[in-house]
This record gives sequence, C-alpha cells and structure tokens, in this order.
Amino acid sequence: MASNTKSAILAQHRANADLNTPLLPQVARDDSDLAADGMCAPLDERIIAAASAALENGQTHYVDVPGIGPLRAAVADYLKSVAGAHYRAGNVVITAGVQESRFLSIQMIGVQYDSIALPAVVHPGVRKALGVRGRNPRTMPVDPAQGYLPSIDAIVQAAADGCRLFYLESPSRLSGAAYAADEVAAISQIIADNDAAVIWDQGLASWVEGAYASAAALDSDCARAAVIGEAYSGMGLASWFVGYIAAPEAWVSSMQSQKQIMAICTSTASQYAALEAGQLYTEARGRQLSRLARLRTDLLGAAGEAGLTVVGGEAVNIIALKLSEDNMKKISRAGIDFAAGSLFGAPDVIRLNVNHSTAAALTALN
Amino acid sequence: MSKKKKAGTSLLYQLIGEARGYDDVIIMGRGDPDFDTPPHIVAAAKDAMIHHHNDYTPPQGLLPLRQAIAERVKRVNNIDVDPESEVVVTNGGQEALFLMVLAVTSPGDEMIVPEPNYNTYADSLAFAGGVKVEVQTYAETDFRADPQDVREAITDKTRSLLLVSPNNPAASVIAPTDMAEMLDIAIEHDLMILADDIYDLFVYDDFQHVSPASLPGGKERALTLNALSKAYSMTGWRLGWIVGPADLMARVTELKAAVSGGASVISQYAGIAALTGPQDAVEMMAEAYRRRRRMVLDALDEMGMKYGMPQGGQFVFADIGFTGLDSAEVAQRILTEQHVLAYPGSAFSKDRKDYLRMTFLQPEDQLMEGLERMKVAMDNIMAEKK
Repeated sequence: MASNTKSAILAQHRANADLNTPLLPQVARDDSDLAADGMCAPLDERIIAAASAALENGQTHYVDVPGIGPLRAAVADYLKSVAGAHYRAGNVVITAGVQESRFLSIQMIGVQYDSIALPAVVHPGVRKALGVRGRNPRTMPVDPAQGYLPSIDAIVQAAADGCRLFYLESPSRLSGAAYAADEVAAISQIIADNDAAVIWDQGLASWVEGAYASAAALDSDCARAAVIGEAYSGMGLASWFVGYIAAPEAWVSSMQSQKQIMAICTSTASQYAALEAGQLYTEARGRQLSRLARLRTDLLGAAGEAGLTVVGGEAVNIIALKLSEDNMKKISRAGIDFAAGSLFGAPDVIRLNVNHSTAAALTALN
Repeated sequence: MSKKKKAGTSLLYQLIGEARGYDDVIIMGRGDPDFDTPPHIVAAAKDAMIHHHNDYTPPQGLLPLRQAIAERVKRVNNIDVDPESEVVVTNGGQEALFLMVLAVTSPGDEMIVPEPNYNTYADSLAFAGGVKVEVQTYAETDFRADPQDVREAITDKTRSLLLVSPNNPAASVIAPTDMAEMLDIAIEHDLMILADDIYDLFVYDDFQHVSPASLPGGKERALTLNALSKAYSMTGWRLGWIVGPADLMARVTELKAAVSGGASVISQYAGIAALTGPQDAVEMMAEAYRRRRRMVLDALDEMGMKYGMPQGGQFVFADIGFTGLDSAEVAQRILTEQHVLAYPGSAFSKDRKDYLRMTFLQPEDQLMEGLERMKVAMDNIMAEKK
C-alpha cells in the first residue's frame, strides 16, 4: 500500500536543492578523474606501521569524542606553524573528514546566530550541510578577478545588513585564490568591530607556497574564529576521512556534544595514522609543494598557449579555468571528470586537480 | 550543585570524566565491549592500508561492503535489500541513528518512542525539530512495549515509530506477535518505522528478535540500522549501516553526504572481513555475555535489586528505588566511593530516576569485583537511610 507519509517526505526532499547538491569525490576514481577534493598520494610506511601498531595494541575501542589528546595537540601545533593560530589542544575537535567539519561548524556555530553569510561561490558541501535543516544563507557577491572570493566591501555590506556570522574559504575551494595579509587584517577588523564571528575554511592552505594569512592568527584570544580543514592533506589519508575544527572553547563544547550525538568519535585507526602523518608532514609537504608548483607552472604555460583563461589562485594543487560553452562541451566529450564550477556557483568555470593527467585535459581543449 | 542539574548525555560525560581519574575504576557504564577486535579483522585493515588506502569510497560506502551487509541482513534478519540502492554505510550505529531520524522527521513531527530508550534518539530528534512522544514500559512486565499504548499515543502529527529491539537500556526484546502488531499499527496509521537492530545477535533464553522490515509490508516503510561495534567489538572503527527502501535510501545517501561525506576506507575493508570472515569470535563473545549476564543477575538478586529480565543486549536495567535516592546520586556515590561506573537511569529518561544501567562488558573477574564493590556502596547507602 502506498504511503502518503513517505510520499510527503520524498516530495520535501526533492524540493531541497541545497541538500541534493552533488558532493565531489574525496579522491580520484581513476586517472581521468580530476574532480576530487583530495589527492591520491603514497602512504608512508611509518604511517602504516603506526596505525597497525595502534590496532594491534588494542586501540580498537571508542576514544574521546573530540579526538585523541596527542592528535588534538598536534593539530593545534600545525595550525600555529602554518597559520600562526593561537589554539591549544582543547580548542580542537577531530572530525571524520572536512565535510563533517563543515557540518558541525555551520550547524552548531550557526545556531547561535540569526543568519550566516556565504560567498556566492563556495564549496558545494557548504550548501549541502546547510540544506540538512533548510537554512537560507545570506549570499555575498564574489569577484571573478579575485578568484571568486568576496571582496572586503562585500563583507562590510553583509555586516552592515546585520549578518554576524561569516563563512569564508581562503584559499577558495574553486580557484585556490587566498586573501592577502592586509585583506585578512581587514576582515578580522570587520569581525571584531561588529561583534561577529567567522568560520574559516583553510583546508587548501597546505598548498600555498610562501606566506599564508589566516583569520585565526589575528584572533589572539581565540574568541571569534573557527578554522576547519583536512588533517595533513597530501599524506595519503584522504580516504581515511580525518578533518579538524579549531574554535573557541565555548563553541568546541557544543560541537563536541553534537559530535557525540552523531558519531561518538572519529575512527581510531584514522586518528593514529594522522598522528604519525603529522610527524612527517613538514618534510613531505615541502617535496609535494615543489613538485606541484612545477607541474602547475607548466600547465599555466600550456593553458596560455591554448588561449584559455586561468582563474588566478595561490593553491598549487588545483587549476581553475574559465571556459567558453564550446570548450565546456569539448572537455565533457573528452571523458575527463572535472569539478564543475556550477556546483560552486560559477557555471562557466571548471576546477582540475594538478597531477600527471592534467596536461591531457588541457590538450582536449586545444 | 551544578553536577546534579545535568541530565542525559551531559550527565554521562560528567561521570565518564570523573571515572577517568580513578586508576582502579571498573566500567559498567559505557557500551564498549572489553574484547579487542578479532585478529583477522585487524589483519584485513592492515592489508587495506597497503593496497587500498587511496580507494575512492562513495558516500553510501564501498559496494563490496554493501553487498556483505545485504547478505548479512538477509541471513540474520530476513530482510531483502539491493546493495546498489538500499544500503548506506555510516560512521557507526550512532551516525546511522542520527541519519535515520533526520530522514523521516521534519520540525513538529511526532515520533513515538517506547521508554526508556537510548538518550541519543531524543538528542537527534531535538536536532531535527521533532517531538518525542513517550510510551512508557515497566520492569514488572520486563519493559514490554504494549502495542495498545502505542496506538493510543498516535495523533495527527505522528510520523514515525521507533522500535529498538533488544532495547537499550531496558534490554527487552519485542516479541514476534507484538512486532507484527506494531507493524499493523504503522500501516494503519501510515507511520514510518525506525528499527534499531544493533543488539540483534545478543538475544537470550528463548526470546526471539524479529526485524519489522522482514514482515510483509514492513520493508517499504522501515529504515533499519545496525553496526559492527557491538557484535565484532569494533566500537573504535566507526562502522554501521542503514538498510531500507530505495526511495528513502536515496534521501539517506544525501544526508550522509551532507553530514560527513563518507566512512574511512580502512574501516570499510575491515568491515568486509568482519561480515564475510569466520564468525567464531562472535559466538565466543555471545557465550561470554550469556555467562556474565547470569553473574550480574545473581549479584543483583543477592543485593535485593529488582530488574526487568534482560532478554537481549549487553546490560541490565535495575531498580534502585528502594534507596530513596535519585539514580544520578546513586551512580555518583558508587563511582566516588567504590570507583565503579554505572549509568543512571535518568540519563536515559527523566522518568527513570529509580534505575541504573549496568553493562556486562568487563572480564568476569573485574565484573565480579565491580558487583562486590557496588554491593558495598549500596549497603552504605541503606545503612545511612536507617
């Protein structure tokens, strides 16, 4: 017998465009997949050994909800080293990947504010997380010339309109563009002046060569900024789903309670693997950055020769292209999987991962 | 002071936190089996670290794991599901629970919940904006959920019925005839069913667990959760699942993607090994729980505590009303004075301040020690009362 109750649930579900936004894969499905958020990378034998040892030593049980203590401390140290953040271990929640970080931060910090301001171009996981409880964000216009980041003026306007919670990506998950230090200082000032708060996705900061500016660095008393991201990108752990949130302790408390409700804790093996990855990260990151930067430079050259418009960005693991309709059809016909800008809010842009297959994708556009 | 004001999950946090401070603490609270994960499952995880660490895993989980789950729910629960479209892998039973509640609940919707029940259902329902409508059960009838009580609790806002069998914390198993009647009620009133089968391998004596989705007309309106945590002693791996009709599971998949994206690929390969490999460890653990359950019941009888007969699960829900104290206070005193952690009934339901939940998830010598210490604490409480 047909169920009207179920039909009503499904009708409501189909109408929820945000929730039904496709999520990008966490790693490539195959060589032609350049759409993934994370990177397929070799896994250091020492990481395997550390995770294996933990399992063999009986670390197969529940652990603390916000994560194992040493990993929380290591993430706090990592954030201090890459972004000058002031967090301590008690400010960190280890999550089951960056999407859980988005969900927990948006839902649990968001509930304290009347509205949340998002860039018009933002990772699809953000709208998806908001769609769970059908919350309508305030959208901040973005500037294509600035890599689709909201301008300082756009943020000022959102604050003037009464918005007190901001969700910002730096680098942009679409273009890799990051705010400069003076812009971050201006954003921090807007946040402070308006007694506001910011959720700052800096997951791609790992892939910025040179200095990186984070809102967390300017939040010296850890009161207004929560930062989120993947734990130790590029260390071969993308499919292990380990992420983090670092935030003021009052927010950590509510996110910890919600984490207990929705997952209890993050996989023990993943946490011990991440702990070891953190030990090896600095050295490995240096090597990867150099390799990816070289690859990306070559790709920028090839794109220029092909007359393609590259969207400027600092993160060396991705390259974003603004494409004509013809080129959009060409790359689709070539069977190359890319991250469609339409999922982010920029329908004429695509994002490609930078790896040994990316050059072939550009060739398809020649 | 502030300690006594805490309730539900917060209260449990407080007790767990204090318990950590005692080197000789005996945990009879948290539902974490003392057995480590069986070695062949750990070996499969290590193999996956070498050969599969970069595998793409969709939000609904690896297909081989979904196939193993489909075979398991057919074999154990007699539920037919298509692994392609009717199974979603989750970060443990807890995420399955959360997603299941979100999937069927809109703000203002009522869910009928036989009480006492696992406190996270209330928390998840609150997150979704739903309303819990309690149907009480009682120790005198071994915490049987009476279908007639369920029928009387239905209003025009009722959208779903929660059926946890074996129940946590009361350890009751819904009898097959009652389960059939529950399903009839759900069909008659067009309710969705949320079925929690997480303790389905731990049913004692002659009691029998039936999954509502296995009954005619059940699958179309039931979401059923389970996990590897309790059966395979894999609480730290965070691996569970939901099965249900394809149309509703499409919604569950989107919710899973929104909430956390996916589950650890290493845990998923371990899960395949658990479900498809040798099952002797499960039987060994089940046998140990049968013995321990008897130990706990004998000790409670000696202490003069009443309880509903635990028909399944890994715990006993015992009446401490004779102390005249709130269960939070009794749990606090047992912990502080004797370093034994048991969970107060008030953490599960505001109406169960007269109960303690005790798990039997400790080695037998420690369990015996814990029960002896608990008896000392209870004797002290009763001596003060006199």
